[in-house]
Amino acid sequence: MELLQSYLGTQLGYVIWTLLKIVVIVAPMMLAVAYLTYAERKVIGYMQVRIGPNRVGPLGLLQPIADGIKLLMKEIILPAKSSKGLFLLAPILSIMPALAAWAVVPFTDHLVLANTNASLLYIMAITSMGVYGVIIAGWAGNSKYSFLGGMRSAAQIVSYEIAMGFALVGVLMVSGSLNLVEIVKQQGHGFAGGSILSWNWLPLFPLFLVYLISGVAETNRAPFDVAEGESEIVAGFHVEYSGMAFAIFFLAEYANMILVSAMTSLMFLGGWLSPFPASWGWLGAGSFFWMAAKMSFVLFCFLWFRATFPRYRYDQIMRLGWKVFIPVTLVWVVVLGAWMMSPVSLWN
Amino acid sequence: MTVSEQTKVGQNYVDGLRERFGAAILDAEWQTADQVTVTIKLGSLPDVVEWLYYKQGGWLSVLFGNDERPLNGHFAVYYVLSMEGIVKSWVVVRALVEEHRPEFPSVTPRVPAAVWGEREIRDMYGLVPVGLPDERRLVLPDDWPDDLHPLRKDAMAYNQRPAPTSDSETYTFVNDATGSTRDVPLGPLHITSDEPGHFRLFVDGEDIVDADYRMFYVHRGMEKLAETRMGYDEVTFLSDRVCGICGFTHSVAYSSAVENALGLVVPPRAQAIRSVFLEVERLHSHLLNLGLASHFVGFDTGFMQFFRVREKAMTMAELLTGARKTYGMNLIGGVRRDIMKAERTRTLALVAELRVEVTQLVDMLLSTPNLRQRTAGVGILDKKVARDFSPVGPLVRASGFKRDVRADHVYAGYASLPFDVHTEDSCDVLGRVLIRAREFFDSLSIIEYALDNLPAGPVLLEGFHYRPHQFALGFAEAPRGEDIHWAMTGDNQKLYRWRCRAPTYANWPPLRYMLRGNTVSDAPLIVASIDPCYSCTDRVTLVDVKKNKSTTVPYKEIERYGRERKDSPLK
Repeated sequence: MELLQSYLGTQLGYVIWTLLKIVVIVAPMMLAVAYLTYAERKVIGYMQVRIGPNRVGPLGLLQPIADGIKLLMKEIILPAKSSKGLFLLAPILSIMPALAAWAVVPFTDHLVLANTNASLLYIMAITSMGVYGVIIAGWAGNSKYSFLGGMRSAAQIVSYEIAMGFALVGVLMVSGSLNLVEIVKQQGHGFAGGSILSWNWLPLFPLFLVYLISGVAETNRAPFDVAEGESEIVAGFHVEYSGMAFAIFFLAEYANMILVSAMTSLMFLGGWLSPFPASWGWLGAGSFFWMAAKMSFVLFCFLWFRATFPRYRYDQIMRLGWKVFIPVTLVWVVVLGAWMMSPVSLWN
Repeated sequence: MTVSEQTKVGQNYVDGLRERFGAAILDAEWQTADQVTVTIKLGSLPDVVEWLYYKQGGWLSVLFGNDERPLNGHFAVYYVLSMEGIVKSWVVVRALVEEHRPEFPSVTPRVPAAVWGEREIRDMYGLVPVGLPDERRLVLPDDWPDDLHPLRKDAMAYNQRPAPTSDSETYTFVNDATGSTRDVPLGPLHITSDEPGHFRLFVDGEDIVDADYRMFYVHRGMEKLAETRMGYDEVTFLSDRVCGICGFTHSVAYSSAVENALGLVVPPRAQAIRSVFLEVERLHSHLLNLGLASHFVGFDTGFMQFFRVREKAMTMAELLTGARKTYGMNLIGGVRRDIMKAERTRTLALVAELRVEVTQLVDMLLSTPNLRQRTAGVGILDKKVARDFSPVGPLVRASGFKRDVRADHVYAGYASLPFDVHTEDSCDVLGRVLIRAREFFDSLSIIEYALDNLPAGPVLLEGFHYRPHQFALGFAEAPRGEDIHWAMTGDNQKLYRWRCRAPTYANWPPLRYMLRGNTVSDAPLIVASIDPCYSCTDRVTLVDVKKNKSTTVPYKEIERYGRERKDSPLK
């Protein structure tokens, strides 16, 4: 940074440096998204006793690249009688929050673009904007299927954001901070001496489950992919999109998946902390390796869910959200409060 | 054929009709021991059909018209009732319609099941069902000439096809909803159906208030083709092509119709072999539907697994018939191919493997937690609606009616084969899935038993002669319900009339009631739960919305472009 500043001046150097950092996060992100689609097709393929992509490159490894090039080449068709401005705005609205949220996500205790004290709040705020992209896409396409998809998405988001928020309130209570770095650090010491047992997933187990499931719903993934509803409303909100406009929705969905898995790791699985004692050398030390391993585990669960469960109907999703998750989280928040005030509190 | 007095089954129905309607009953003639055709006066048609249907436990299997002007100077309408009361038999009610007054009293207001058949008779013969509330066409396209009725003997050649005169559909969809609704179209081409059918859902939010649909986008004119171009044995191969899944049942139904009409006694070994093939067909068809049901609820793993296992059933078909489908096996009088020892052994091994694998899969499917949530209570076919509309197959059995042609009117080798007729009282999609699963295992047992107990003897009856103007019914229980065919021999080595009714034809009319009250999410699932067979697109309509004009590209133009690759009609 000093080098840049000496050439470009303090102000401009800082801007360029920050931009470089953004590129360093976003470029591997996009690669990760591409290979997440590959992983999805392979994992689900094996779960369904198929092979998955195996023609493009060794083991089909170039498949995501080929897909990307294909999508770049395709025409973006603007449906007649669609609302053109909104139609093009929608994909931007959905990719923007999916990427912006990464600004505050720490990968290790110092590897973070912006270590702000309100990072959790920032993430909550920015991710809930993603649904506008879906709803606007559903409206702008001027198709009944896409409109149904948009409506479903809106219904889904009101059912899940609340439960998700309450799940995070629990985390907030035990860590006493909105800063993601602090939340992870807090998990590193506690009743079981900072080992795997002291991470939030165990004491906050119901909240962990609610968060994980709401995360699947939040990202519109199977079995909660009603907004897309492939066998019912064809492709739901993005039924009218083609080429890169479609690809951007696709990128946003996968970037969101990775984001939710990062959040789950940070809030409940101890982020970059190692599950092993410190005496185990590099395995015992907290590092990006552990963060990536935990994220991969959560992502694998996402794929696993998709291969295991039939799609919920949207009224069933709403019922699950309002009648199960919200009461569970509410009760657990109260229980947690009482627990923290009691002599057997784990968090003193 | 002449049936002796002692063996006549169904005499009680004829006696009852004579007692009740007296002079209206003109004639009763038995075609086989359990098939009687009763000719009645036209005016009492609704009364007679209603009495047989509701008072005597009859179900309306098929109705059709016939142009008998060359024979007796009249048109005729036939209402085929499957009597499933105390005595199980077929009663065919026949009434003659005068040529100069082409109308007949509609039965639909009394027996709703007659609705599609009567609409089709109006299309095909120009006979007007007086009192039929639904005045829309059923089979013919919107722009078909009003005075051209394809199945009249003097109407048109099989390959003639009036050029389309209009680019737009004028078909009106019926919406009985009281409040305000929005239309959501499902088809003619939709992701979940490989065949064209246009469903119009009238929705309030996601809730389906009412639904209507039209089919016959790809009417192939097979009946006309068979009557004008093909010999008797050729039609067996044509009837195989009625369906891409359960074609063999159609050729069994067709050949047994001709056999029944001529009084042929098919060798027992041929009958047993037909039963084996029919059950092999049921195996792969039920696996297909179970797989699709999984797909429609978004459970693709189940779909993949069922299709993987289904390959074994296809291998079995290949082993037994030489093709992955059990096609091309039937002739009038028997089958073309015997089952040898090596094939038998390997088939039995495959049956054992299938039993193990499918047991696992069905267990997996039923223990998947939200599968039950997605299917239970969805697409309810009310018992009363079922009784009124005479649906067939797993659909009617899931509404608590024990209807299965294999048991009710024994054909092929089923008299000696062990199986149950499974019913469910839940009336929903789950019930239909469960019934299909159970029937699958029954089919495995039937195949095993039949292969172990194959009667000896020839597989084909030869050296018989065709007599003109003999007619009878033939039937077979296809995986999705009964196929019923009615064939009348002609005097030129061709059929005079062939009526082929696929099971789905009987299942479409009640579908509307099954869709009501469900959500859009469930619509494809409900449609798939009747295991429908629609049928390939013959023309394309291009719509240019910007210029507000549409052009229709005829099939021939596309075919020409396909060959020459020049002057694309699509530009």
